[in-house]
Amino acid sequence: MKLSTVVEKLGLECMTPELKGAADDVTGGYVSDLLSDVLANGPKGGVLITVQVHLNVVAVAVHAEMAAVIFAMDRRPEEPVRKKAVDEGIALYVSSLTAFEIVGRLYEMGLRGLHA
Amino acid sequence: MKSFLADLHIHSALSPCAGDEMTPPAIVQTAIDNGLAMIAICDHNAAGNTAVTQKAAAHAAGGHLASGGCARNARSLTVLAGIEITTSEEVHLLGLFASAADALATADAVRATLPDATDASRRRFGDQRLLDADGRVVGMEPKLLATASTLALSGAVQLVRQNHGLAVAAHVNRPSFSVLSQLGIFPQDAGFDAIEIFKPCGPHPGMVASIPHGQPAADSAAAQFASFGLPVISSSDAHFLADIGRARTAFTMKSPTFEELALALQGIGGRTVACA
Repeated sequence: MKLSTVVEKLGLECMTPELKGAADDVTGGYVSDLLSDVLANGPKGGVLITVQVHLNVVAVAVHAEMAAVIFAMDRRPEEPVRKKAVDEGIALYVSSLTAFEIVGRLYEMGLRGLHA
Repeated sequence: MKSFLADLHIHSALSPCAGDEMTPPAIVQTAIDNGLAMIAICDHNAAGNTAVTQKAAAHAAGGHLASGGCARNARSLTVLAGIEITTSEEVHLLGLFASAADALATADAVRATLPDATDASRRRFGDQRLLDADGRVVGMEPKLLATASTLALSGAVQLVRQNHGLAVAAHVNRPSFSVLSQLGIFPQDAGFDAIEIFKPCGPHPGMVASIPHGQPAADSAAAQFASFGLPVISSSDAHFLADIGRARTAFTMKSPTFEELALALQGIGGRTVACA
């Protein structure tokens, strides 16, 4: 699935416009606020949905080779987090929707988790 | 210099999840009975029982404050004022302070971000008892202590620092509310003065630190976490009297005081820190 399609359908706000034109494919998804869990289970090429805004979100998502992060409930990381994401090439998006709602819509669009 | 046994993470009955038995005189007596020279009262997001526990320790020592200058006897116990802050990432951060006033100033900034406690929350999470030095209930904490503050970890460390405190990453080997469980990777630049490991009682498969069979759990975790380049302490995180002193740290220093503790954590002048 194209990340740009997800962004458009969910009306996501892009926090990393510098990365426009980078790889656009997303292959799955994972939702968690415990970064130890994301580190262990985040799917490669997938999108992470979380309310955790600590700098380590970027480090963990990069380590797990995930494609993008969507922050739910209008949670916004601070500028150093955004800069790090640009440096590392991981796209960050913000949504006013709850994590439940975001995941539901992504599933409806055909995106799946680890074991689906 | 001398070796002093310390347990720097003990909850009083102010913490909703701690037993009602955790009164200042009972905590002090149990600590003394367990051979501890120094403890710290670290309630969740609050410090309202720190000064009274220091007073209870002074009573136990025979009316004299147990401090560096005083002659120590078998009944003298140093009680540090502390706090266990729940950050917005749901990381538990310990603050240890030179005075109850510093702990209270820190607690006020944390409490300002918490919702009010309600009768329903008290029933669900437990009482938040403010006590006097004799253990009598003198009030209930009005803020809900069992939830996260809105302070990010970096802001919470900064707050502890502003109040001249020491910042300790709490129970880093626990599967919940620890720096590692919440943040996945240890943040090297977080500004911690020490790392605390929790000593599990019996097998605990959920621990982040793997405990090799037959090896003392605290030793193994201490070795693992020593790689972060910070002093490692071991504490009980006692919520009940029976837990006090279950995990301890031996500090080699001149006297059991906050100032000496700060020097020991920096390894200054031959002072040492070892999980015991």
